[in-house]
Amino acid sequence: MFNLIRLEMKKESLKWYGLGAIIANLLILVLIIPIQYDEKITLDEMFVILGALIRAVFIVFAAVLLSKLIIDEYRSKTIYLMYTYPIQRKKLIAAKLLLAGTLTFITIAISSVFVATVYSIAHNMFQLSTEEIPVQRLLLEIMSMLKFAIAAAGASLIPLYFGLRKRSVSATIISSLLIVAVLSQSNPWLPIADNMYVALAFAAIGVLIAFWTIRNVDKMDAI
Amino acid sequence: MDIAIKTTGLTKAFQGKEIVSGLNMTVKKGEIYGLLGPNGAGKTTLMKMLLNLVKPTAGEIHILGETLTHSSFELLKRMGNIIEYPIFYEKLSAFDNLVLHCEYMGYYKQEEIHETIELVGLKNIDNKPVKEFSLGMKQRLGIARAILTRPELLILDEPINGLDPSGIKEIRNLFQMLTKQYGITLLISSHILGEIEQLADTIGIINKGQLIKEISMDDIREQNTEYIELVTPHQRKACYVLEELLAISNYKVVDDSTIRIYDANVTQTAISKELILNDIEIESINRKVKNLEEYFLDLVGTSTV
Repeated sequence: MFNLIRLEMKKESLKWYGLGAIIANLLILVLIIPIQYDEKITLDEMFVILGALIRAVFIVFAAVLLSKLIIDEYRSKTIYLMYTYPIQRKKLIAAKLLLAGTLTFITIAISSVFVATVYSIAHNMFQLSTEEIPVQRLLLEIMSMLKFAIAAAGASLIPLYFGLRKRSVSATIISSLLIVAVLSQSNPWLPIADNMYVALAFAAIGVLIAFWTIRNVDKMDAI
Repeated sequence: MDIAIKTTGLTKAFQGKEIVSGLNMTVKKGEIYGLLGPNGAGKTTLMKMLLNLVKPTAGEIHILGETLTHSSFELLKRMGNIIEYPIFYEKLSAFDNLVLHCEYMGYYKQEEIHETIELVGLKNIDNKPVKEFSLGMKQRLGIARAILTRPELLILDEPINGLDPSGIKEIRNLFQMLTKQYGITLLISSHILGEIEQLADTIGIINKGQLIKEISMDDIREQNTEYIELVTPHQRKACYVLEELLAISNYKVVDDSTIRIYDANVTQTAISKELILNDIEIESINRKVKNLEEYFLDLVGTSTV
């Protein structure tokens, strides 16, 4: 399995992903700090916004990743080449999904730690609000963000369903945007962004879709 | 004799329409089997079924002594293929594509990559990504990839598409070398009848999803001697000799100087000898053989080609 994942990375260079992740992190920081200057937002809300923003960005990144790893292989027909190799199709697809899911989780986790820490330091240094963020508080917030990161990695697989139906890259990415729009709601009427149950429900759907895709792949005609 | 591929009652229907129906085919080990058929006859679908890319609606496939099931995959290690047109990871170089192929096939003699690239006559490829290749170069690379791991069975769909005449000749020699030296079985489809005629040991003619004829090339050559064409200025005298002295009645006068003799029992030498003895000038005398193209068109019907 690890060998298959290694080969996937050989076929599709992931430099864009790393570079994009770094740029995204910096942009999130640049965006988040002025928000607090402008509006009176509590620290609690601030961390919710941070987490939601990071997850939103990397769920869309995951959709691009799924497009490149799976949808594009169908579109360019290279998947048929893959299917003529003496490797179980299930394993081939599972390796791709595992790569996308794991990469999304790791990136969200690292970004959460990075952005939350830099934000806290900046907050304390420039006294962005009247409160202070003690290290204890920061660690607590990071722990919660990591839990959400697992859920987000699961949810990031949902666009696969929409993308595979028509083998369309745009369907994959648009569906990821819709998921992000729902998952990032944090207004008083629909507080989803910090609701673990909703996040887990989405994750469960994502994982189910992954299993469904893997299960179906043997029966499918490769036309 | 050992059998490489055997299909029985192989059927594939898409949305109720049968693309391949009740197809029985037998490919012997070590032979070159040419699959002929008009566009849309089901050649590619058949080949995809042999590679387990498309799952049959009914019927059985036996390949290299094993029965193909929906989830067969280990068997694919012993097969090489080109389906429709060679597909590559276009951003990668030819070499990288072949390295990937080796890795996925579980083949570890990667030093053979350069050798194989040379074998198919790919030149000046450097580190160019495959997307910059011409169709002919892609075709050669596709053949290189298919034969790289020295599989027992090669399934090649239109492998000489896009090659120039000298390229076709090189590849033909390569195929013949592969069967002779390595005992590889080749299943080839093509539109170019002349090519198949020169290459194949056995021909399968497929039309509307059915194998309407499976015959060895030797049999075709033997069965299809059509007539002896005689050109002489003394046509009338020649007719007399044929009818009275040689007792041939099955002949046709085409024009003032040409006669076609359909009687299969008289040899060309006997005819020319008799004519010369009777002092009849012969401008030419030829045995006309129906070629594969005519044979094919007879079977399939011209309208469909």
